Amino acid sequence: MEAFIGGTISLFGDPTSLMLFFFGLIGGMLFGAIPGVNMLTLGAVLLPFTITMNPENAVMLFSVIYCAGVFGGAITAILFNIPGAPENAPTCFDGYPMTQKGQSGKAIGAAVICSAAGGLASVILMMTSTGIIAGWAIRAFGPPEIFALIFFGLAVSASVGAKTLWKGWLSVMIGLLLATVGTDPVGGIRRFNEGSFLGLDYSSYYLSAGIHFIPLILGFFAVSEVLTQAINIATGTRERPKAGLEFPTIAEFWQVRYTMIRSTLIGFFAGVLPGIGATLGAFLSYTQALRWSKNRKNFGKGELEGVVASETANNAATGAAMIPLLALGLPGGALTAMIMGIFQIHGMEPGPLIFINSSELVWITFAAMFWANLMIIVLGWVQTKTVVHILRVPFRWLAPGILVLAIVGAYALRNLFVDVWVMFLAGIAGYFLRSTGYSAAGVVLGLILGAIGESAFATSAQLLDYSILNFLSRPIAATLFILGVLTIVTSVINELRGADQPKALID
Amino acid sequence: MARSTEFDVTTSSGPSPYLRPALEWAVWVGFALLAYSQTGLFDREIPEYRFGATGWPRAVCLLMIAGATGQFLMRCLTIARGVVETDAAEEAPRQKLSGREIAQRTAIFLLPLVYLYAVPYLGFYLMTPLFMLALMLILEVRSPGPLIGVPLTVSVIFLLVFTRLFYVGMPVGNLPGFYDVNNAIIGFARLGM
Repeated sequence: MEAFIGGTISLFGDPTSLMLFFFGLIGGMLFGAIPGVNMLTLGAVLLPFTITMNPENAVMLFSVIYCAGVFGGAITAILFNIPGAPENAPTCFDGYPMTQKGQSGKAIGAAVICSAAGGLASVILMMTSTGIIAGWAIRAFGPPEIFALIFFGLAVSASVGAKTLWKGWLSVMIGLLLATVGTDPVGGIRRFNEGSFLGLDYSSYYLSAGIHFIPLILGFFAVSEVLTQAINIATGTRERPKAGLEFPTIAEFWQVRYTMIRSTLIGFFAGVLPGIGATLGAFLSYTQALRWSKNRKNFGKGELEGVVASETANNAATGAAMIPLLALGLPGGALTAMIMGIFQIHGMEPGPLIFINSSELVWITFAAMFWANLMIIVLGWVQTKTVVHILRVPFRWLAPGILVLAIVGAYALRNLFVDVWVMFLAGIAGYFLRSTGYSAAGVVLGLILGAIGESAFATSAQLLDYSILNFLSRPIAATLFILGVLTIVTSVINELRGADQPKALID
Repeated sequence: MARSTEFDVTTSSGPSPYLRPALEWAVWVGFALLAYSQTGLFDREIPEYRFGATGWPRAVCLLMIAGATGQFLMRCLTIARGVVETDAAEEAPRQKLSGREIAQRTAIFLLPLVYLYAVPYLGFYLMTPLFMLALMLILEVRSPGPLIGVPLTVSVIFLLVFTRLFYVGMPVGNLPGFYDVNNAIIGFARLGM
């Protein structure tokens, strides 16, 4: 506690630190909210300038950008179905339908509070047990456990947004198949890059890099939404969403308390594990909220719990991502790799000794992340009361701006115009998938979980000598795997018994 | 789980109720088989990895066939119980679309494709305001104020934020004249830098 107070005094007692803190907070939020640029863009732009800063301020600045950036992307996800960053993609699943129902204020309010709560819990856990958690997580979670975790996530993702279980499964399968385009994770063999169909040859160098999920997310959510609304305008059936300013009540938060706790834990452990991070944490947390919720039928249609799950988990991952970085010198994602770069620029080496040799740096960072998460509530509350008014602008005027943002977002990713094509084709496909009861969210879940899942599966198979018994002898992997199998079996039995018959018939 | 009473058990007077599920099954299975057949093109062994490059995608294709078959059987079972599937769209009274409405719907889908085709030749900076203008016209905006104001405002914000501040370079086209105009717009946006 003394160290934390010391860190706070150092942070707020120095005008330069204080200025950098607010710069990181506001900059992170803005960059997180604009598709096409993100906190990594800001980080990349600022990285060279860290040479002239002292290491305490430089690391603090990047950690604040990380916290604020992960929250920022929720606003556009909720208002326009455009996730500002990949980790906000699951927020679209329920955030945007809430906006359509006139509950935008409630959705943004939930994102604000849950981002702050997830982030704060994560920072507190980080401050109290960095060493223990880092050691345990790295030892206990190998590729078999990661594969089992993803399998469990996939097992429940069939229920997201689709009209029937089967349509959900088929949507996830499409995502899994799309994830195999590119090169295989073991031998680097090119897959689906070239071939022949009905005598016509096709070949694409671009496809060897795989289909990136950002253009697909922008297409499935932003473009297909613009197409849907445009068709509604053409048919005269469009209803303008009301700009709701209502904040979620304490009773509503109390109802989702278990989801918040579960999502904090999932996000936290996803953040600790290198290579998993906030994006997968948010997706897994969403699928688990769906698995355990009493209102699972409302998921994908504007369920507050969906926003809570996604936003709590992605911010909970931020604090956790600092644990392997500081304690073991292992960066788990791009932004933590930049922080690693800062350490190297200043001739420092993160690892267990950093807590002894540079305790001031560690505690300024911890304090800054704590206060940044707390400040999200204040700035987020202001945003809730202001940005929702954008919804009062006629959609006919907003649509061009949304599409231009999406185009820039897709193109700026790799400076490839093919990504813009992929986005628009995904948008058209998404429109037809949605109108026939399939789930765009399921496709995205399959795509994101599939790529990591195959890699983890291949490593596990080699590691465990292709033996399912070896796999089941690992307690965490076995538990998650069995839970996944049970989820699939029970959902199929329910479907066969006709429990979901009304839903299927409405489809 | 309590059963809903929100749906009606109806009888069909149109084509066989099995037709649509069968068609949907055929589309999915056809797609999965096509993808499976394409895996043969990269069916090479990988040292120390038994499943090779094709193991995972082939498993996904087979699962897709299983899912499509499950869906088909389930829907057949539902129909056999005497309940006919109806789409919300099918239940709504069908209105005959006028030529203008068909053209409007087609334009909504075609406009982005035309834009995508044109941008590499004519450049993003020149084509995007025109694309926005065309989109608003398709969306039945007829007032000159928004028709000029919205593309202008979005373009200016884009140039200020992405071109001037973040140096995001969009395609400038490759046709003579258009290339120069696009570069001139970029030059104007970065004036004084």
